[in-house]
Amino acid sequence: MTDNMTLGERLARQGISRRTFLKFCASMASLMAMPPSMAAEMAEKLAGIRRLSVIWLSFQECTGCTESITRSHSPTLEGLLFDAISLDYHHTLQAASGTAAEHARAQAMQDNAGKYLLIVDGSIPTGEGGVYSTIAGISNHDMLVDSAKGAMAIVSVGTCAAFGGIPKANPNPTGAVAVSDIIKDKPIINVPGCPPIATVMTGVIAHVLTLGTIPDLDELGRPKVFFGDSIHDRCYRRPFYDQGKFAKSFDDEGARNGWCLYELGCKGPTTYNACATTKWNGGVSFPIESGHGCLGCSEPDFWDKGSFYRPLSTGEWGSGEILATGAAAGAAIGIGAALAARKRQDSITGGK
Amino acid sequence: MNRIKGIPIAADGMLSEAVLSHGNALPLLHEIEILLNDLATTGTSASLDLRSLPMLPADYEKLREVLGQGEVSATVDALGPTWVRETAIHGVWWVTHRNAEGDVTAEFIEVTCMPEILRTHPADARAAVETLRSRLLQSVPETEGDDHDG
Repeated sequence: MTDNMTLGERLARQGISRRTFLKFCASMASLMAMPPSMAAEMAEKLAGIRRLSVIWLSFQECTGCTESITRSHSPTLEGLLFDAISLDYHHTLQAASGTAAEHARAQAMQDNAGKYLLIVDGSIPTGEGGVYSTIAGISNHDMLVDSAKGAMAIVSVGTCAAFGGIPKANPNPTGAVAVSDIIKDKPIINVPGCPPIATVMTGVIAHVLTLGTIPDLDELGRPKVFFGDSIHDRCYRRPFYDQGKFAKSFDDEGARNGWCLYELGCKGPTTYNACATTKWNGGVSFPIESGHGCLGCSEPDFWDKGSFYRPLSTGEWGSGEILATGAAAGAAIGIGAALAARKRQDSITGGK
Repeated sequence: MNRIKGIPIAADGMLSEAVLSHGNALPLLHEIEILLNDLATTGTSASLDLRSLPMLPADYEKLREVLGQGEVSATVDALGPTWVRETAIHGVWWVTHRNAEGDVTAEFIEVTCMPEILRTHPADARAAVETLRSRLLQSVPETEGDDHDG
């Protein structure tokens, strides 16, 4: 019976006021980079929605994406959001197993045909007929195709589902592919990251719930609100890049002064994600703030682009275009430093 | 253990240049000035999302220094505390939403006469009528009516 209640009615029964609702939506609007004035409108819409059925499929993955979303440091907010969805199938989290679990998936698909949200984490093996990963005797490929038929949209969570990720890394022994390589007739929202930021995942779900639309996507299918800017664009160390101040090693004076980590291999200029603003662990920090360069984990094939510790100017990340962009941003000093860094790295690695 | 001790990291309390930078605070303060002028002349409210900018501790410090602390301070207890403080610049409010663990979930500078979070929503007011009536019924002694009649 409670499944027919609106979220507002459900939360009112729990003693949650509209003021609380407004606070939740203010946080979500901030998360989704929406104008703060949208919070009140979101609160009204969210109060009127009914629970959305969600089917979550996990394929070739490490469970890091699920760990990220369930280990969030703001469980109250995420908990409130999960009151708005009915997670009908998630084989890591659900109590049911075997035939009962598969029955739950089939039932949810039947009851909510055309209206449920399909979330996928992990890549899909296609080699040898897909035998490298099966669930209940069903290949990942067949389960994805079957589950996608009645979905309103698909969210590919994590770099594996979005782009193939680490399973697809050379030599890709299982023939791993992304969701979008198989499903061509449904809207697909890619939320890459290894793992993605928990609040980015919930933010995408909140967008679908509150606005009832697919967020604007970039050319790689990522929501622009979270992936519209590069890490470099929003990095607090960016002024040092522009000034040509670079850490040369992880323990030198530049590193201690918080200078730019470009020469140490930071992939921030070519990586689009929300780490520099949303941050991790409840907003505590992000890798660069902790002194390590960005690995570029939300970009396709990040694992096969050479060392994480070689600067972009070494060419493995298609850096010619990136360097031109850097120059346009007034970073001639940075390029000079990058070339110097390339020489230094070559001397360290023997040019490999 | 010796190798760990050998890592040449100096945690000597030195403040880095990055931490001392407050490059985002001044443009933000100028934007607040424009919004405050709008509020004063047309009554238009607006909000600035501090989390949408790559703010550093020094930026926050600069904002606090310039805006100061005003006369009004309130705490809303909903999904964790929300601190609502008017700055020394009337009409400029600093609103910080925290979750139950104390993590900041959103932070705004609101340029308004009254932050929305402090207002009572009409739906809550309607529900409150029933709540109060129920409590009144419970608090009225059963014999009260008899006493008056007698």
